[in-house]
Amino acid sequence: MEKKDEFYIGYVDAVGKETKSSIKRFVLFALGLLLIGSILFGFFQKEANNSVFDFDTPTKISGTYYEAPYPMLRVELAKNTFKDVLLLGFGKFGANAYLDEIKRHKGNINGKHLTIEGNLIYYNGKTLLQIDDSQKISLDKSKKKNFVLPESMGNHEVVGEIVDPKCYFGVMKPGYGKIHRSCAALCISGGIPPVLAVSDNNSISEYFLLTDLKGNPIHKDIVPYIGLPSKLKGKVEKLEDWYTMRIDVSKIEKLDKESSIY
Amino acid sequence: MGLDYKLVLWNKHKKTYDKIIALGMVLYLVLFIALTLAFNPETIAETMIIRAFGSLAVIMLHIILVIGPLSRLNPQFLPILYNRRHLGVSMFLAALIHGVFAIIHFHTLGNVNSIYAVFTSNMDYGSLTNFPFQVLGFLALLILFFMASTSHDFFLKNLSPNVWKGLHMLVYVAYALILLHVFLGAFQQETSVFTIGILVLGFIVISSLHLVAAFKESKVDGFKGEKDTGGWLKVCDVHEIPEDRAKIFSVGKKRVAIFKYDGKLSAIHNVCKHQGGPLGEGKIVDGCVTCPWHGYQYLPHNGQSPPPFTEKVATYELRLDNDMIYINPIGLEEGTEVEPILC
Repeated sequence: MEKKDEFYIGYVDAVGKETKSSIKRFVLFALGLLLIGSILFGFFQKEANNSVFDFDTPTKISGTYYEAPYPMLRVELAKNTFKDVLLLGFGKFGANAYLDEIKRHKGNINGKHLTIEGNLIYYNGKTLLQIDDSQKISLDKSKKKNFVLPESMGNHEVVGEIVDPKCYFGVMKPGYGKIHRSCAALCISGGIPPVLAVSDNNSISEYFLLTDLKGNPIHKDIVPYIGLPSKLKGKVEKLEDWYTMRIDVSKIEKLDKESSIY
Repeated sequence: MGLDYKLVLWNKHKKTYDKIIALGMVLYLVLFIALTLAFNPETIAETMIIRAFGSLAVIMLHIILVIGPLSRLNPQFLPILYNRRHLGVSMFLAALIHGVFAIIHFHTLGNVNSIYAVFTSNMDYGSLTNFPFQVLGFLALLILFFMASTSHDFFLKNLSPNVWKGLHMLVYVAYALILLHVFLGAFQQETSVFTIGILVLGFIVISSLHLVAAFKESKVDGFKGEKDTGGWLKVCDVHEIPEDRAKIFSVGKKRVAIFKYDGKLSAIHNVCKHQGGPLGEGKIVDGCVTCPWHGYQYLPHNGQSPPPFTEKVATYELRLDNDMIYINPIGLEEGTEVEPILC
């Protein structure tokens, strides 16, 4: 029997038998590819950490405000047990714009007791607070406290990745590495403090708030080193539950290796 | 074929085609989200959306890119080509959701404009591994946008088929940019051999299919027929052409399709005026040469679309000597009537 010369025309309803079977084969192949792709891309993702950003639940916290090296609130959790809560602004900005507003009206607030309503961000023992409105900061009537001097821990050389703490500790997942690098650069140049995240072989992490050699905040100068495995050297000091590291930005060494914090 | 422009000229096949596209996309997204929630429960919605739509768009692009060479190699796959533009637009929408969410997530609410930030927040343009991969994705999305927004016969007609085709060939530039975007971006951090492997395999399959299809085409272009004293080209024996079908020959720098139908032979330029489809791979249906891509029709003896349509292609004179077909390589004006030769 002579083979039927099938010819498909899109606007004609009839379709030949063999053409139909070829279409079926292709559709099955395409759906199969989508299924396999979905399984591979869905299953083989690096697991996100359990960091938290309470974006829909505002929390009020009270504590002593310290301005240097970066705005923080020292909160008394229990008698003589304190926690330094790093203050951040809305979006990719630091907290200074909101704090400057209250400073304009109330003068110097360093060492004074504040109550701030904001959104908590927390992970791995560190807590941060996002402020989105200067009206949510109130100055409490209490005596000004003297700044407790940080404890010197000597000079150290550490390998880690410079991250923006807002994303790293909860707002984004992942909040580190190549994928997140541009966002971290915007956050840090917008006033969010740069943090060096360090993780050892046992996955024990430590975090260093980075400042210049004089202990002043650094932002734009450090942007080229963000989100890359790097080696940093500097004088380390301990605040309540954060380390700070005074560094010479020009001496940061970019490392050609996979980041240990991935 | 249509005389006026409608958003979509729906027919039974297009509806089925689109239902299958929608089913495939929904299936992908549901499975991706279910797997992510089951095995990566701490993830956030934005990351899940960016990843789900980005990976969906990449896989859809692979499916789109195999359709062309597959249907060149086997005409039975032509129905998949028929409505490929709907698949293309759907893929663009998936890529757009990925791109918009990524820009909102990573580049908005900062101290500079978010589009400016895409280009400037990572300035390591001189490094391969640290290259700002977002820029590559942005440029690919821009190409896909121009392609998707001109995926309509209105633009095909008004831009001219050549310009339109040139614009739509940029899909290969977009594919290269997307591969680089993924390999220099996500795959620097998400290093599963399986996900990297599927894209490497995809690249090998797409390249191989294109090479095989190009090899098949090169056989036509490699045709060197003898010329007789009058300069006419000897092409083939009349029995080599099946009834209601054609054979394609390279005549000068043009491809010509010689059709056999109702005991007659006619030759027309092989390129359809609609999208450049190969008329010689078409068939005589209702007395007309019918393009295998979208069913555009031409009368074989004058290369004119039947009224009220107005498309015209060049025609060629033929001669038959002892069952051997000869063609005058000098083509005639588009739409010129040529008396078919009897065979």
